[in-house]
Amino acid sequence: MRRKNIEERIFKSLAAAATYLIIAVLLFLIVVILKNGLRALDWGMLTKVPQGGFYFGEEGGILNAIVGSFYLALGATFLAFIIGLPVALYMNIHLLRQRFWLNRIRFLLDVLWGVPSIVYGAFGFTLMLLLGLRASLLAGILTVTLLIVPIMIRSMDEVLQTIPRGLLESAYALGSTRSEVAIKVYIRQALPGVITALLLSFGRGIGDAAAVLFTAGYTDYIPTSLNQPTATLPLAIFFQLSSPIPAVRERAYASAVVLTVIILIVSLAARLLSAKYREHVIK
Amino acid sequence: MHRRKIIDRLISGWMAAGLFFVLMIPLAIGLGLVLKSLPILKILALPELLGGSIWKPLSGQFGFKPFILSSVYVTLISFLIAGPVCLLSAIYLTQYASRRLLSLMQPVIDILAGIPSVVYGVWGVLVIVPFVIRLAELREVAISGYCLLSGGIVLAVMSIPFILNILIEVIQAIPIELKEASLSVGASYWETIKWVLLRAGFSGIMAAFGLGISKALGETIAVLMVVGNVVQIPQSLFEAGYPLPALIANNYGEMMSIPLYDSALMFGALILFVIIVLFNGLARLAINHGERYR
Amino acid sequence: MRVFHLSQPFIVKMSTILVLIIYLSSLSGCKRTDSVKKSAGTDAKLHGTITLSGAFALYPMTVKWAEEFRKLHPDVRIDISAGGAGKGMADALSGTVDLGMFSREIMPAEKERDVWWIAVTKDAVLPTISARNPVINELKKQGVTQVQFRAMFIDETLRDWGELLGSVPKAPIHLYTRSDACGAAGTWAQYLGGVQEDLHGIGVYGDPGLAEAVKKDPLGIGYNNTIYIYSAGTNQKYPGLEVIPIDINANGRIDPEEDFYDSMTAMMAAIAAGRYPSPPARELYFVARGKPESPVVCEFLKWILSEGQPYVSSAGYVPLSREVISEQLEKLR
Repeated sequence: MRRKNIEERIFKSLAAAATYLIIAVLLFLIVVILKNGLRALDWGMLTKVPQGGFYFGEEGGILNAIVGSFYLALGATFLAFIIGLPVALYMNIHLLRQRFWLNRIRFLLDVLWGVPSIVYGAFGFTLMLLLGLRASLLAGILTVTLLIVPIMIRSMDEVLQTIPRGLLESAYALGSTRSEVAIKVYIRQALPGVITALLLSFGRGIGDAAAVLFTAGYTDYIPTSLNQPTATLPLAIFFQLSSPIPAVRERAYASAVVLTVIILIVSLAARLLSAKYREHVIK
Repeated sequence: MHRRKIIDRLISGWMAAGLFFVLMIPLAIGLGLVLKSLPILKILALPELLGGSIWKPLSGQFGFKPFILSSVYVTLISFLIAGPVCLLSAIYLTQYASRRLLSLMQPVIDILAGIPSVVYGVWGVLVIVPFVIRLAELREVAISGYCLLSGGIVLAVMSIPFILNILIEVIQAIPIELKEASLSVGASYWETIKWVLLRAGFSGIMAAFGLGISKALGETIAVLMVVGNVVQIPQSLFEAGYPLPALIANNYGEMMSIPLYDSALMFGALILFVIIVLFNGLARLAINHGERYR
Repeated sequence: MRVFHLSQPFIVKMSTILVLIIYLSSLSGCKRTDSVKKSAGTDAKLHGTITLSGAFALYPMTVKWAEEFRKLHPDVRIDISAGGAGKGMADALSGTVDLGMFSREIMPAEKERDVWWIAVTKDAVLPTISARNPVINELKKQGVTQVQFRAMFIDETLRDWGELLGSVPKAPIHLYTRSDACGAAGTWAQYLGGVQEDLHGIGVYGDPGLAEAVKKDPLGIGYNNTIYIYSAGTNQKYPGLEVIPIDINANGRIDPEEDFYDSMTAMMAAIAAGRYPSPPARELYFVARGKPESPVVCEFLKWILSEGQPYVSSAGYVPLSREVISEQLEKLR
């Protein structure tokens, strides 16, 4: 009897330790990034592009990467949205009866979610060459769109699945067509979930380096057309981190902080928004 | 009425088209990779490619074994660290801890999961590499710090939110009746966990681990920054390795100059794609199978 | 029954899609038009884009050239990224950039794909160590020969710093090399009688990365382009980084004529005069798939070979000799 107790106690403390360890690691990570990055951050860093070349120049900041990343992530999120929302709605309205196909599709999407971004990057690169594009904002957007489409669809799908059937049936009973139900009823109901899906996809898209490594190029400037290469925050970190020139490294740390802060805001916003909007949802 | 019907048809058609497009994506990726790998597959047999240990593209030798093994080793190390930690933590959070702690953990997991790979890489270079150097010094070995162990630790931290999330879901999906039944026949909490919960959730737990492993296998940037990138079959934790994703990321630049190099790299991507899809597929099947008993 | 009500999200979605499609197609047209647009007559104000990628060795010089060129032609946009010579060649051959920056000899396989190249300046690859290396003073006095470097980097028969100096084993040598396909590795390997993949060591991405890794490891040794060893601003080496003098005549010590590593100007003079062996000193090229057709690119190249050359020394590189320059200008005709 005693042995069981001791066993349980040991186990319980180990398990608690594991949990607190995880929290500690997160805090540690954020502290390290903030410590190195805040030192490098100043107004100039956020508002100027690198002077003298990003690998080499001692002045200027990371505005090229910040703006470039936003262009890219917003573009990709938008594209993924206009592809993904119809698909998620289709799955939950038109295909509602076809359990067999639904399960297969969900399975496929889950598997797609797990494909590493480097494979998307390699595929995007091949696609880019096929379409005759250069390493550019457009190529980057297309690749990241492919990367985040499964996330977008599955997240929205999860939310749409929670909408009570009764709603659907009463809409049909009142004579609406399937697309009308989709647009007028479901979207409104699922709004918090849709926003969460958007934020999640945006967060994934803006932080990914492997997908843009081959496809978006890099430059010191802010892109003014889709055909130009663009700097991105993840690559800004990757390229500038291991430089012997301290000013270049500072830019990498600053980019890391900016990126981390963006992700933090996006994650927390996703949580808060979905909690807040839940009030308006019919249960 | 007609108009609404036409609009309905159009919109539904657009939606179906979107679905078709999305379903084509994995097919396109798979096909594209296979097509690009064909040139090298025509020249070197599969066992030679997968089992060969020499990688000298300039002399036409493309042995993938060092990369496959490096990937396996570094993933294994990360799993040995992350697996037990996640399992312990998941059990604690779902069985012992207060609900407040569980709801505190959710954002923690979300944030950890959302942090980009490259930021983990920065953290790895700043913190883990010196730490591993210090560890090696304890054993009187002087290393550069860029090795399998560093890669494994960074990967472990990256896998934790992923595995933990799924584990929590899996355990929470186990019907509470099982737990109650076990407790009512006199088993203690701990015995219940050990013998009932873990048994019932076994397939789900395995699936969570499977998904975590496949994520670790595909991770590129963070590992690349700390693992050393040396083409060799690492003999110890403190030696550098060269996982498959790092190979692709580092060398796509040389793709055009050396004949067959681009085909070889695409073949590497194909191997990665196939293994991960398989792992993911099996893991998801296991989860679905488990959910059927809800 | 108002169907096309503006508030309907579907309409909004559809129209944004249409707008997006129109916007996208109009932009992809720009690719052709803006390089063809040139002012008639004189080269007073050029207009267009030039994209370059490739060797880290050429990156700082190209950035400087781009800056100065843009002072004359502010409407020309020059996008420069690095990635290693291999990437430069790959991008140039696949048409993804206008010019690839290249820092090693062109291989026969590349020549077969009709690569066009032009020399633009000269620099060198030097063997680097940490300033905290335990035997640095002895190394500076004795130097290391080509044969010994080969034994270290390629054959891995020399594995200890003490043994390198011909005495008792002291501490292991930590080799570093480049993980990206690059000219520095190719050139250094060429000096040692091999190719990049023969070089052993921890693979680090990029020249700056390699320099940083070597700086941090007192037992480390690597190789870097001169521009990442010496700072053009101070004329000295970057703090923390040191160079192993090459014992060219293999007499076991560094004679006065082999000792030119103290300042950037001394180093560059030695390279220009040929006192530093070539390889690892080498000419740096821009490559492209066939002779460039874009007028902006040709103007840029012409400018580099004429008015651009004076910037070379102050940027930390070696200017080309006059014969070489006229040879290159011939290629541009």
